Amino acid sequence: MTALGVVGGIAQPVLIVAGSPVLVGVMRQVRAHLEGRAGAGVGQPWRDLRKLFGKEAITPAGTSEMFRAAPLAQVATTLVVALAAPFVTTDSALGVISDLFAVVALLAMGTTVLALAGLDTATAFGGMGASREMTIIALVEPTLLVAIFALSVRVGSTNLTDIVSATLHDPARVASPVSLLAAVALVVVVVAETGRLPVDNPSTHLELTMVHEAMVLEYAGPDLALVELAAATRLAVFLGLLANLFLPWGIATELTPIALAVGILALVVKVGVLGAALAAAEVFMAKLRLFRVPELLAGSFLLALLAVAASFFLA
Amino acid sequence: MITPGIVLLVPIAAPILAAAAYAVAGWRRASAWLGAGAATIVLCAAITLATTVSRSPLVGMGGLVRADPLSAFMLIVIGAIALLATAATPAYFAAEIAAGRATARTAARHSLLVALFVAAMSGAVLAANLGVLWVAIEATTIITAFLVGQRRTRPAVEAAWKYVVICSTGIALALLGTLILNYAATNSPARAGLNLAELTAAAHGLDQPVTRIAVALLIIGFGTKMGLVPLHAWLPDAHSQAPAPVSALMSGVLLSVAFYAILRVKAISDAALGSGFARALLLVMALGALTVAATLLLAQRDYKRMLAYHSIEHMGLLALGAAVGTPLALAAVLLHVLGHGLAKAVLFLGSGRILQLTGTTQVEQVRGLAGTDPVLAGCVGLGVFALLGFPPFSLFASELAMFRAGYAAGLGAVITLALLLVLVITAALFAHSGHMLLGNPSPALIEPHPAPGPERSDVATASAAPTPTAITTAVFTAPATTTTLAPASAVAQTAAPAATSAAASAARTPTSTVIVLIAGLLTCAVLGVAAGPLAQLLHLAADTIAATP
Amino acid sequence: MTETLYVQLLDLACGGLLLGAVLVLWRRELSVIIRMFAAQGVALAALVAVLAAHQRSVDLWVVAVGLLILRASVLPLLLARALTAAGPARRETRPLVNVAASLLAAAVLALLAYAVSRPLVALAPSPATQAIPVGVTVVLIGFFVLVTRRRALSQLVGFLLMDNGITTVGFLTTASVSLVVELGVSLDVLLAVLVLRILTARIQETFGDADLDELAELHD
Repeated sequence: MTALGVVGGIAQPVLIVAGSPVLVGVMRQVRAHLEGRAGAGVGQPWRDLRKLFGKEAITPAGTSEMFRAAPLAQVATTLVVALAAPFVTTDSALGVISDLFAVVALLAMGTTVLALAGLDTATAFGGMGASREMTIIALVEPTLLVAIFALSVRVGSTNLTDIVSATLHDPARVASPVSLLAAVALVVVVVAETGRLPVDNPSTHLELTMVHEAMVLEYAGPDLALVELAAATRLAVFLGLLANLFLPWGIATELTPIALAVGILALVVKVGVLGAALAAAEVFMAKLRLFRVPELLAGSFLLALLAVAASFFLA
Repeated sequence: MITPGIVLLVPIAAPILAAAAYAVAGWRRASAWLGAGAATIVLCAAITLATTVSRSPLVGMGGLVRADPLSAFMLIVIGAIALLATAATPAYFAAEIAAGRATARTAARHSLLVALFVAAMSGAVLAANLGVLWVAIEATTIITAFLVGQRRTRPAVEAAWKYVVICSTGIALALLGTLILNYAATNSPARAGLNLAELTAAAHGLDQPVTRIAVALLIIGFGTKMGLVPLHAWLPDAHSQAPAPVSALMSGVLLSVAFYAILRVKAISDAALGSGFARALLLVMALGALTVAATLLLAQRDYKRMLAYHSIEHMGLLALGAAVGTPLALAAVLLHVLGHGLAKAVLFLGSGRILQLTGTTQVEQVRGLAGTDPVLAGCVGLGVFALLGFPPFSLFASELAMFRAGYAAGLGAVITLALLLVLVITAALFAHSGHMLLGNPSPALIEPHPAPGPERSDVATASAAPTPTAITTAVFTAPATTTTLAPASAVAQTAAPAATSAAASAARTPTSTVIVLIAGLLTCAVLGVAAGPLAQLLHLAADTIAATP
Repeated sequence: MTETLYVQLLDLACGGLLLGAVLVLWRRELSVIIRMFAAQGVALAALVAVLAAHQRSVDLWVVAVGLLILRASVLPLLLARALTAAGPARRETRPLVNVAASLLAAAVLALLAYAVSRPLVALAPSPATQAIPVGVTVVLIGFFVLVTRRRALSQLVGFLLMDNGITTVGFLTTASVSLVVELGVSLDVLLAVLVLRILTARIQETFGDADLDELAELHD
C-alpha cells in the first residue's frame, strides 16, 4: 500500500461515484441529440437521484431482508472495485483486491445479489428478469475472466495494476492479435454486463423486453436511488477498466499533483468518449431476441479463448 | 532413335492427343475407337517400360517423371483396364443413343473426359514427386466429377456432389500431410525435397512425431480416394450412378492408383518410423472397410451398388495385404490389383449391359438372364466366380498368397476375422447374382425396354431376327401367360411380332462388348494359372516397397 | 524489415485469418459468409507478403499477388454469382449444430489444434512456425463448417476455409514449396470450385433449392 495507492484509493471512488450519473446523463444526451430530441440535460440523473433520496422508504409486502440489502450490497461491491482497480493511479490502495479474479468476483456478486432481490419480490417479472440476467451472466463471466487472462499471460501476473503498467511500458503490444481479440470480446462483455443494447434496452418500458429493469420494478424511493447509482457506477467501472486495460496512457504513475490531475482528466476523457461512442452505436442497433443472445456471447467467448491460445503460441 | 525419356511421356501424351481429337472430331464411326487406340498405346508403352526398368529406374522430363518396376506394373494395369473400358464404349453408346438417353455430343464429351482421366492416372503413377502425384490425383477427381454426374437425374447429381465434396476433403487432408512431410524433409539432415526416391532414401533421418502426423494424414487422405473407412460414403453412390465404362474405370483402376500412392507413402513411413505405425493404421482401415462391405452387402437391393460395395471389400483386402508388408504379401497384393481390376471391369461392363436391357438396377426385378441372353449371363457369371476368388482366376492365387503371408507374419487373428467377413460377402454376392442369372426370366427382361418408335422399328426391320433367340423368347412368353401377368401378356401377345423382333435385336449383346468381356475373363484366368514374365516384374515391384529395414 | 516489425505483422495476419474463420462460423447470412471468406483471403495474401518481405523472395511476392487475385477476388465473385442464382433463401437457417454450440465447438477445436501442432512447432522453432496452430485451427474450423452446414454454398465455403488453412500451414512451415506444386494446388482449387459451382447449379435445376437436406435419395 504505497502513498500513490492511498491517494488513488481516495480519489477514485469519489470521482466515480460523483461522475457516473453525469456519464449516464452525457450518454442520454448524445442519444437524444442523434435522435433529434432536445434531451433532459446532462444533470438530470443527479436531479432524479436527489428526488428519489428525499422520498419515503417503502418496500413491498412479503419481501425479506434480501430486498433491502441488495442495493446496498451492489453499491458496496462496486465501490470496492472502484477503490482497488487502477483507474487514476497504477498503484492500488488494496493491493490484493486489484487481482483479476477478485475484481470479477466482486462485480459478479453485485449482479447476483440484484437477481436474488428480483426473485425475492415473488412477482412474475422479477423472476423473469432474474432468470434472464443469470443466463447472460453465466456466459459473460467466463468470457470476462478469459479475456483479461489472455492479457495477463504475457505479463506473468493476474494483478490488474501489473497489466496496466506492462502495457504502459510496451505500447506496441496493443496492436497484437491477442489484444485485439481480447478487446472485441471485452466490448461484448461490457455491453452485456451493463445491460446496454443490443443485449438489453435500458430505456424500455415494455416489461417483456426487460432484463435489468424487470428485476428492479418493485424498488422505490432511496432503494431505487441506490439501485440507479449502482448501475451508473458499474457502467463507469466497466468502461474505465476497458479504457485502462487497452489505452492506459495518462494514468498517474507517480505521486505529483500534475500526474494526478492528468490521471483524473485522462480517465474522465476516456470514459466519456467510450460512453458517447456506446450511446451513439446504440442509436443504430436493435435489441437482439433473447435466444440469439447466447450466440453473441458464445462468439465473444470464442474470441477470448482464441486470444488466450494466441498468447500462448504466437511469438 | 527414341530416347528412354520419350517413352515415359507417351502414356500421358497419347490419351491427351485422343482427347484433343475428340474435342475436334466429335463422335463418329471412325473417332469412336480413338479412345481404345490411346489405351492400346498406353499398354504397349507400359510393357516397353516394364522391360526397360527391370534393371534400373528411368527418370525423365527434368526429374518430374520417374518409372520404376512398381510404376511400370501400375501402368500395365491402367492400360489393360482402360483398353477394356474404352473398347466397350462404342457399343455402349450406340445402344444409349439408340434408346434416346444420350446424344453424340454426350458420347464425345464422355470419351474426351475418359481420355483425360486415363492421362491423369498415368501421370499419377509416373510422378517422381509427391506433390505432382497429389496434383494428378486431384485432377482425376475433377475430371470424373463430370463423368459421374453425366446423366442429369436427381440421384446422379446427388452422387456427383457427394463424390466431389468427400474426395476433395480427403485430398485436402492428403495435401496437408504432403506439406507437413515436406517440412519434416527440409528440416532433416539430408535436406530432401518431395522427390519420392530421395525421400525414401533419406527417410530414416526424418523427425518422428512430425512424420507420424504427416503419414497419418496422407494415408487417411489417399484412403478416401481408395474407398477406405472413414470417408468411404461416396463410393457406392458414385460408382453406381456413373455410366458403365466409367464405373469400370473408377472401380478397376482409380482405386488402385490411390492405393499406389498409399504404397509409396508406406515405403517412406516404414523407413522413418518402422513398419508398426503404417501397419496398424492400414489394419484398422482394412477391417473397417471389410466390416462396412459385409454388413451393407447383405441387404443390398441394387446390383450396381452391390458391385461398388464389393470394391470396398477388395480395397480392404489390398490394405490388409499392404499392412502385412512382407515381399510375398506385396507381390500378391499387386497381382490382386490387376486381377480385381480386370474382373471388376468385366462385371461393371456386363451390368451396364443388363441395365440397358432391363432399364432397372434393382436385383429383385432382374431374373433369368441365362434364359434370355446366355452369352452375357455366362460372362457375368464367370466374372462373379472370378471376383469371389475361384480358381483358375488370378484372384484365387493372389488372395491365397496374401492370407498365407498374413499368417506367416503373425497376424493370424486379424486374417481369420478378415476371412470370416469375406465369407459373408461371398455368400451375399452368390445369392444376389444367382437370383439375377437363374430362374425364369422376369418381366423386365421379356418386355421390350421402352424406346422411341421410329429408330426401334428401323432396327427391327433391318435385322432379320435370329431364329434361336426368337424361339427362346416365344417359349418363355408362353409360361408368362400362366402367371399373374395375364393382362400384360395380352398386350404382349398383340404386340408380339414387333415385340419379339425388337426384344430380340435389343437382347443381342453387341459383338464388341462380348469380345471385351471374354478378353477380360481370359486374361484373368491366364494370370491365375501362370503369371509368366509378369512374375518377375511383380517381385521387383514388391521389392521396391519392401526393401526397407 | 526489422525482426519485431516482422513478428508483429505476421501475428496480425494470423489474427485476421482466425477472425475470418470465426466469423464464417458465426454469421448466418450467406452473403456475409462470402464476404468474410474474401477478407480471410486478403489476410492470407498479407501473410505471404510479410513472409516475402522478410525473406526478400520474388517468388513469394508473385504467389502473394496470385493468392490475392484468386482467393480474395475470383473465388468470392464465383460464390456471389452462385448466391444470386440460388433463389430467395439467403440464410443458413437450420445448421446441424446450432450457432452457439458451434462456436463453443470451435473453441475446443482451437485447443485441439494447439495440442496437435506441438511437435510441428518443436521441430524448427521460429516466429513463422509458431503460428502453425493458427493454420491448423482454420483447417479444423473449415472441416466443421463443411460437416455441419446444410446449404451447398456454406459447405463450399467450409471446404475453401480448409484449403486456406492448409495453404497457411504450407507457407509457414517452409516458404520454399516448389512453384509448380503451388500452381498445381491453386489450379486445382479453382477447378474444384468451378466444378462445385456447376454442380450447385445442377442441384438447383433438379431439386429446386440448394438445401442439401433434400439430397437423401441415395442411402442404404
